[in-house]
This record gives sequence, C-alpha cells and structure tokens, in this order.
Amino acid sequence: MLILKSSVSKLLFVAFILMIGCRAKDDFPGLEYAPNMYHSVPYEGLSQITDESSGKWLSNREDGKGEYFNSNPNNPHGMNLREPVDGTVKRNMSGYMPYRVHKDSVDLAARILKNPVEKSDEILSDGKQLYSVFCQACHGSQGKGDGKVGEVMLGVPAYNVGRVKDVPEGHIFHVITHGKGRMWPHGSQITIEERWKIVHYVQQLQQLD
Amino acid sequence: MSTTAMITKGFYSTAYFIVLSLLFSASVYGQDASSIPTDEGIISQGRTLYNNNCAVCHAIERQLVGPALKNVHERQSVEWLKAFIINSQRVIQSGDQYAVNLYNQYNRTEMPAFDFSDDEVMSILAYIKDESAKEPVQAAASDTGDGSQAQAQTGTAISSGYITVILMALLIVLVLILIVLAVLISVLTKYIKQKTDLDEADEELVSQKVDFGKLVRSPGFVWFASFIFTAIVLKAVIDGLFSIGIQEGYAPAQPIAFSHKLHAGQYEIECQYCHTGVLKGKSANIPSANICMNCHSAIVKVGDSDQPSAEIQKIYDAIENNKPIEWIRVHNLPDLSYFNHAQHVAVGEIECQTCHGPIEEMEIVKQHSNLTMGWCIDCHRQTDVNSMGNAYYDKLVELHESKGKGPMKVADIGGLECAKCHY
Repeated sequence: MLILKSSVSKLLFVAFILMIGCRAKDDFPGLEYAPNMYHSVPYEGLSQITDESSGKWLSNREDGKGEYFNSNPNNPHGMNLREPVDGTVKRNMSGYMPYRVHKDSVDLAARILKNPVEKSDEILSDGKQLYSVFCQACHGSQGKGDGKVGEVMLGVPAYNVGRVKDVPEGHIFHVITHGKGRMWPHGSQITIEERWKIVHYVQQLQQLD
Repeated sequence: MSTTAMITKGFYSTAYFIVLSLLFSASVYGQDASSIPTDEGIISQGRTLYNNNCAVCHAIERQLVGPALKNVHERQSVEWLKAFIINSQRVIQSGDQYAVNLYNQYNRTEMPAFDFSDDEVMSILAYIKDESAKEPVQAAASDTGDGSQAQAQTGTAISSGYITVILMALLIVLVLILIVLAVLISVLTKYIKQKTDLDEADEELVSQKVDFGKLVRSPGFVWFASFIFTAIVLKAVIDGLFSIGIQEGYAPAQPIAFSHKLHAGQYEIECQYCHTGVLKGKSANIPSANICMNCHSAIVKVGDSDQPSAEIQKIYDAIENNKPIEWIRVHNLPDLSYFNHAQHVAVGEIECQTCHGPIEEMEIVKQHSNLTMGWCIDCHRQTDVNSMGNAYYDKLVELHESKGKGPMKVADIGGLECAKCHY
C-alpha cells in the first residue's frame, strides 16, 4: 500500500514537472493535441514552414517530408503567397478598370481625371473613415500636415494653404496611387473606389480655414 | 507654341544667361542682398507665404527635407534664388553646377515649382533674411521646455518615493513593537519563575515548550500535508493537460524587433494601415516591406540616435534584395476551424483589442486570448446582433421576436452551428 502510494505520488510529480513545461511562452508555442489536425495540408498563405523535417515523427506523407512542412517550392523564396499574374485585372463590383496613368504624369492626371464616385454624406463619412486609417498618421486629422508620424517624417504639406489648396481631384487621386516627393505609393493598400472616396474627403479638408 | 510662351521662354533663357554669368562675379552679392526689402509689412507678407509654402520642407536653422535657409542670400545671388524658387527643375536642367550638386546632395528630391510673382519671392527672401539676423531663440525655448518636463518627472518620483518611505517606516515600527513584546514576555516569564508558590496549572504554562519535531511527525499533520501536496500537483497536472493545444501567451521573437507599442501606441497608426485585409478577407494579413517603406523611406533613425537603426536597415535589405521578411505567425488557429476577420470586424464591428488584447502596449506581440472553442462560443452567446439599418436581418429579427426570447444574439442566427467553423 505504501509502495503504491509513493509510486503514484512520484508519477504525479513527474507529470507535474512535464505539465508546467508545456505552456506556451515566448518562443515556445506549447504542445498540441492531435497535431495533424492543427497543421494545414494545403498551402497556408500566412504560415510558411520551410524546414522539410518539421514534424517528421508523425508524418505519413508520400513524399517523405515532415507533416508540418508547408512551403511551395515553385514560388520565389518558397512562399505560399503569389502575386497575381502580370496583366490580370481583379474583378470588382463597380467595374473599375485599372489606373494606367504613368506615375510621373501627375499633371496629366490632374487635367483628365474625374471622380466617378458621386459625393454624398455617406461617401464623405466613408472617406473620412478611410482617411483616418490611411492618411491621418502623417497628414493629421484636419489635413494640416501635423499627424504624429508627419512630425517625425517632415515635409508633410497642409491641404488648405499654398499650392496644395488648389490641386484638383485628379491630382489627389494620382498622388494617393503613386505617391509624390516623400510620400510613397499607397495604391497597393487602397482600392480605386476607396481612393476616390478619400479624394472627396480631402477636398473638404482643402476648404478649411 | 503661343507668343507668350515664346516670350517667356526667351525671357527665361536670357535670365539664366545673366544668372550664370553673375554667379562668377562676387561683387554682385552685396548689391543683390541689399536689394532685399527690409520693410515690416513686406516681411510679414513673406512670413505668411513662407509658412504656407516653404516651412513644410525648410527651416531657418535646421536641415529638414531641404537645406537650412539661414543666410541663403549669402550663398547665391538674388536672381539665382528667384529662378530656383520659381522653378528649381529648370535651373537644374540648365546645368547650373550649384543647383545640380544641391539636387544630388538632397537625394534628388524635387522642389516643386511655385507660381510666385517677383514681389512675393522678394518678400519671402526678406522674411528669411530677417529671420537669419535674429538670434536662435529656439534653443532657449526648448531648454525651458526640457526644464519643466524634468520638474514634472521629479514630482512623480517624489510622490512614489514618499509611499515607499512611509511603508518602510511602518514596517520598522511593527518590528520594534514585536521586539518589545518578546522582551516583555521573557522578562515576565523570568519573574514568575522566581516565585515558588505557583499552582500546577501555572507551573505547566510557564515550563511549556513547543516541540515542532513531534508536531511534524504526528499522523494528522502528515495526512494534511500529503493531502495539500497531492491536491496542488493534481491541479497543476489538470491545468497542464488543459493547456495542451492552447497557445495563449505565445510571444515569439520576430526577425525585426518591430514594436506595436511604438507604432500603434505612440504614433497612433491605425491597425488597418498595415493589416489591410482585416475588413476584406479571412486574414488581416502581414504587411509587405513596401508598406514599411511608406514611412521608413524617410525615417531612418530611432529615437535620439545619430546612427541609422540596424532594425530599419533590415527593411532596406529586404527591399533591395527583393527578399520577403519572414515574420513568425503568432496566432495559429488550428486548421480544423475556420475564422474570418472581415465577418467579425466589418460586420460585427468588433475592436481588434477585444480578441488581441492591448496590442498598442505590446513591445512584442503576445497571443492574448486562448482561442478555444469555449471562448468563441461564450462570445457568440453573449453578443447582440447589430441589426439596425441592415435589411438583411429584417426577416430574421421578425422571426426571432415572434418567439419572444429577448435580444437576438449571434447564437440565434447560427453562431453555434458546427458547420459554421468546422467543415
């Protein structure tokens, strides 16, 4: 009875030590129950595992690689994400075609572009929301060039003074898309329709005193 | 080409010829600089123009995007300055050596053309000249600023210091009281022992000794101690078993020591600026290096350091070698379940912090929630569906209200269906 008791407590103690060690902390993600249900078999866009032997101990893959290996050897850098094929156009609800004015042709854009999105209160509030996400950090909440990042970045113009006050909608759209001066292109982050909504809101900020 | 354009062009080329030839004659400078007006009215007009157009990229004392403008009228002739302000690219393209050097020195940043009249340019120059003559007041002002800040800091330091001192004093007083009591007991016991006429009960009390060894070996204590020990170990084992498959607290070191505390906290950059997928797709997405470069093309140093930051250099390496940064994914939802960000953030209007915790305070991102099924279900049971102004829900709300079960929760519209997340 005494022996049984002591062996049980020893077992418990060993289990205790093991269990303390299996919590996720810092670089250790913790233990998994049934790991092959946790790890994606198809290529998983945002979790790339390039180590071929990763999870080999439970692998029953036909190619002999580890169960966790998740990386597409056909892509550059073994990435699971790929850029769209050159020349393909993403379908969108409003049927916008890609913006093709060359990045250096800001004056051309200023002359020829017209905002296809009709201005309304709803569009303006969308524009304001998008502005607060994508522009405000540098340009400031009122477009005075006094955003917190703008203060460090320097060279952020105010919308409502000088030459910026009078730039037309096409200019604004072009600058959001391709950048200008110190501002880098934001076309990859903001869709065409969203850019036009922002243009409406920025035009409102241009009119501020 | 219209006549006006031709005349303008002719005027400009003549102007540049004059400018270039004047560049080599030093005697012109004095004469030129003296032609800058010193009238108060003109200076104040210049101040307005300067603040609206130039201050974005130039300062008098400091180099910003472009060079510091202090005593700029001593560097070049007024004619040259005028030409450069009105259309800097034209001066650069004319091959003027000074302009070309300037252009290259400042990372080939184009100074935009300005449509100023002659008087306007002169007023700006007048303002710059006037400012240049003034003693730098900024340094003094910033000194006082630092001073008051330091004072404020000592203020808080003193108050927190006070608390520690008070606590320490209290502790010392308590220890002293304890010592005094112990001394009292020993003195009293000695005094009683000297007496011979004690009865039995008192005698026992005085000569009483606590035997710790005996107490520890007593079966009651052994039973109690082993019970407590087993209970603690069992609790830990069960907790440990329940922590299997939960990555709460996972905080891997990333290839670049990116701080959300700095970017999202201090600089208040919206989450969506970098995590662009959050309103549109399943994943919030990890930004590619070009999004980092939107700011870090210009921001090279960290804090007050003079040296370019080694961490920021890693972004440049990634861009130059076209090699993606291998960020380590923190939130690894098991493959057996489906989660969609757009559904929760765009439609459900849940704040990022609800699930991800105080990200804007995290130096290293840590998984805040446990992401278990129970955790999902709890929220689905408690959260009301915001059906206001959304016609999609009209019939569902009607149906729900006909059964009269209170507000419509996520659970009522299928938030507990297995196949919503597992398929």
